[in-house]
Amino acid sequence: MMSLSRRAPILWLTLRQFRAGRATWLAALFAATPILLAVIHRLGSRSVSDAEFLANLFLEVLAPTVVPLATLMLATNALGNELADRTVPYLLLKPIARARIVVEKFLASALVTSLTLAVGLLVTWAVASSGAERSSRMLAALLGGTLAGMLAYGALFMLISLLIQRALLVGIIYALIWESALARFIPGVKLLSIRHFSQSVFVRLLDDPTVTLDRALQLPSALAVLVVVTVAALTVASLLLRRINAA
Amino acid sequence: MVELQQGTGKREPDAGFFPPAGPRTIEVTHVSKWYGDVVAVADVTFAVGPGVTGLLGPNGAGKSTILKMLAGLIAPSIGTIRVLDQPVRANPALYRRIGLVPEQETIYPFLTGREFVRLNAVLQHLPDPDDATTRAIARVDMLAAADRAIGGYSKGMRQRIKIAAALVHEPELLILDEPLTGTDPLQRLQLIRLIRELGAEGRTVIVSSHVLHEVERLADQILVLVNGKLAAAGDYRAIRDKMDEHARRVRVRAADPRRFAAALIQLPTLESVHIDGDALVVETNDVRSFYRAVPKIARDQGIRLYEVTALDDSLASVFAYVTAR
Repeated sequence: MMSLSRRAPILWLTLRQFRAGRATWLAALFAATPILLAVIHRLGSRSVSDAEFLANLFLEVLAPTVVPLATLMLATNALGNELADRTVPYLLLKPIARARIVVEKFLASALVTSLTLAVGLLVTWAVASSGAERSSRMLAALLGGTLAGMLAYGALFMLISLLIQRALLVGIIYALIWESALARFIPGVKLLSIRHFSQSVFVRLLDDPTVTLDRALQLPSALAVLVVVTVAALTVASLLLRRINAA
Repeated sequence: MVELQQGTGKREPDAGFFPPAGPRTIEVTHVSKWYGDVVAVADVTFAVGPGVTGLLGPNGAGKSTILKMLAGLIAPSIGTIRVLDQPVRANPALYRRIGLVPEQETIYPFLTGREFVRLNAVLQHLPDPDDATTRAIARVDMLAAADRAIGGYSKGMRQRIKIAAALVHEPELLILDEPLTGTDPLQRLQLIRLIRELGAEGRTVIVSSHVLHEVERLADQILVLVNGKLAAAGDYRAIRDKMDEHARRVRVRAADPRRFAAALIQLPTLESVHIDGDALVVETNDVRSFYRAVPKIARDQGIRLYEVTALDDSLASVFAYVTAR
């Protein structure tokens, strides 16, 4: 831990912040929600196959709510709390590039979010599927789709936390209203949502003809869009941090 | 602006305060800052050189806004600020030479004092952050509590560890926003000594305070802010001397107020005296000689003296004085 505090001090600081705060527990709570659904599936009538259940779980629950909400808790916390608590001058008044602050904060939030989500997914997958139906391809698709979505959501929510004080509320509105509700009724919105690209990654990684997604992108295209969103959001955040008024 | 220095500094065109010839660590030129309709700082021009400079003003005068602009944390609405001959805003490399102790108390409560100071040392790219950390903590006399979590620190301890963090890279310019807030008398004495030492080492130290006697003990040069404007600047003693030339009110409590009033009235520097309950309220045009004379008169008259208190020896009266001129 000592060498991390020397090599990546802001990453180290942020991990300590997460360990001391409530955001990690809230993210873990969201990440654990699918486990409950998996238990119900296991104990229930088994009217759908395990693969069908897991695919529906990702497309209808994980991608639209669990991934964005779990990511939101930590991504808005990483820099947003520094601004709210007015501790950000301790980082800004240092001879370091603003991009480094943003990237280390982002990496800390991505690390903790991906760990909590991965543990939740692993348990969900193990509980929901058994025997021949327990497919490592399904697990890879679940993890791939989740990780891809989490990275883009994380960068976007971190940017929002620099722009708006109530980033948590704005993030919830974005995830639940823009991406979920509006995307159902306005066709174009779907293509402007991170959720759709993470669902595309999942569907393409799974490569199961029975699991389909309307207007699904090819894997390289979906990944490229998510990478562009992530890099663009982090770049804008770094530029904002250069000009921010830390009053 | 009223300039109260006595022949040491020079008045330059376009108003403002400039220190005597020599290096200028900070140059603020026609700087204003407003938030919507609220003007926090209005057309302030000054320069500061090495040594300790006090930034004095009542709460809400704009002191913290100026210090944040000097540190590059906020941008002026108009005007220019140069620190160590460079623009300070969006210039991270300059922070190798600047240390700031912000006013707010919040520090990462989950870190120990040592971890916090070390974090600052690492972010300053110091070659031996552990050694620098120990030296900085020792300088503020916090070694005994360095390995305790900051969340359990008193206000005074938090102030001292913030100062250690700001000092860890030995900056040329140190900006301290109300550093003595929350400290006990002994800690205050130690910090005042430390701040004076830092100034004597040739660093530029700018310290804000709304407490007159703190600044009196800290700084030789002062900048007085009132309502966002630079109301006075220069040598602190010059301000006190100028104040002393004007009538000052003093409250005196003695065993026999009426007889004591009759004795005091003989003093040539006395302008008026009236009895207020069991005390006298005296107006004098030479407060220093009055302070010297009072105990002597009490002794000569055999009257027990309980209290002598200046009624207008406050920051408010300094501001009233400098703004009235």
